[in-house]
Amino acid sequence: MLKEKLQKFFKIDRRWIFLLLAVVIFIPILKPIGLPNKTISRDAQNAFNFMDSLKPGQFVLFSLDYDPSTRPELQPQAVAAIRHAFKKNLRVGVVTYIAGSTGLIQQIFEKVPAEYGKKNGTDYVIFPYMANPTAAMTQMASDIYGIYDRDQDGKDAKSLPVMKGIRNYKDMALVVNITGTAMLDSWVAFVGDKYNVPVFGGVTAISQPGYGPYLQTGQLKGLIGGMKGAAEYESLIQEPGKGTSGIDSLNLAHLLVLVLILTSNILLLVIRYL
Amino acid sequence: MKFIKKTIPLLIVLVVGVLTLASYYVPHKYSVDYLELMNKWENIVSAFAFLLGLISLFYTHYSKISRKVDGWGYSIFVYIGFFAMVIPAIVCHGKQMSDTGQTALGWAFGFIYNPLSATMFAVLAFYIVSTAYRSFRIKSPQAFVLFLAAFILILGKVPLGQIIWHSALGWTGQGVDQVIEWIMSVPAVAGKRGIMIGIAIGAVVTSLKIIFGIEKQYMGKD
Repeated sequence: MLKEKLQKFFKIDRRWIFLLLAVVIFIPILKPIGLPNKTISRDAQNAFNFMDSLKPGQFVLFSLDYDPSTRPELQPQAVAAIRHAFKKNLRVGVVTYIAGSTGLIQQIFEKVPAEYGKKNGTDYVIFPYMANPTAAMTQMASDIYGIYDRDQDGKDAKSLPVMKGIRNYKDMALVVNITGTAMLDSWVAFVGDKYNVPVFGGVTAISQPGYGPYLQTGQLKGLIGGMKGAAEYESLIQEPGKGTSGIDSLNLAHLLVLVLILTSNILLLVIRYL
Repeated sequence: MKFIKKTIPLLIVLVVGVLTLASYYVPHKYSVDYLELMNKWENIVSAFAFLLGLISLFYTHYSKISRKVDGWGYSIFVYIGFFAMVIPAIVCHGKQMSDTGQTALGWAFGFIYNPLSATMFAVLAFYIVSTAYRSFRIKSPQAFVLFLAAFILILGKVPLGQIIWHSALGWTGQGVDQVIEWIMSVPAVAGKRGIMIGIAIGAVVTSLKIIFGIEKQYMGKD
């Protein structure tokens, strides 16, 4: 009798689980819990340290390759890393190989540069979308203007003050790739390893474990992983943002997943030994 | 005919493949020039591939609508979605912002593409949680190890989990972040490295087979 009752729990309408998850995500959005993120992962710390060690005026190339589907995790990472670059008075160049990313880049640069008094063309440049990442990556090794002769506004890229003295990877201090795709592997293989350019990445939490080998060998200087990584980077630059506030929702959602897995397995054990 | 359809394409693949491979290792002006030329060609070919994909997409969905196959109504949304983004992009010359504020493209990106794309991905979370409850069964020692690793990683990824760990296992002197660090840098890396080496060797072998004409399936059946 009890066995049958317990088995009913496995056949529960999945919409109840959907509802539970929706409630668990919405509560912290409406009423933030505000628990502090106490730990900083080694990889996020290393990424921060590398960027922090650069000298003012050095050029950092950001490849922002994500679309709105991974925006909640990756946009806060991109914002935090760009804020850090501006705080350090680094010159910033932005490229993208995902068409859906262009609007998100626009959203970042509508707001962030003004907070630091940075100007388009003088302190940063946004290049237009390119469809073929490997070709663009390889081309930038010899002459960036061979592929990006104009910025996204159609201005001659070579004549922009921000591009002064920049011709190829040798003139860049760091490449930062924030992506929801496997693009980071290409940046490591085709650029970092071959041309000896330091690369660090920002990826979704689900892809993070896959980059362990690159981190161990130093092929990646650091890695920001998921929303927690974004929250960590925000706390390192002391600028709380969407990553810090988003982690609140993750608190309960993560615990719900654990509780559901534990519950179903405990029920299974009870049914088996009844 | 066979010479045009088989031999010439195979020769092109052989010559371009060998030259591209060699240029990776030869730091000479000629190899750099060659790579630059190839990059330009690659971009042009990619543009045509996009066009081909688009024509194929339109044709497939047109055929579904005209034959009124199951779910043909969804195919209409392919056209609606496409034109809802492409028309503003053409009208606004690809600009999302102008001196007067947001353009039609900016609006379409912010209020059509952005929420639709985010919703598609967000729905996944609901299915994952439901599947975790229904299907994650610890029926073997391997499944238990997987569960244990997942449990620690999920717990350690959020402050609330860190607090729970500290309250329950703080006496061990091991923080959850240290345990995660170990999982990520020892067993996870070992597994991933093995997979990566396997994939890399497979890719090298397949590439060489294509370059030297042993693998010809990409040329089609004719």
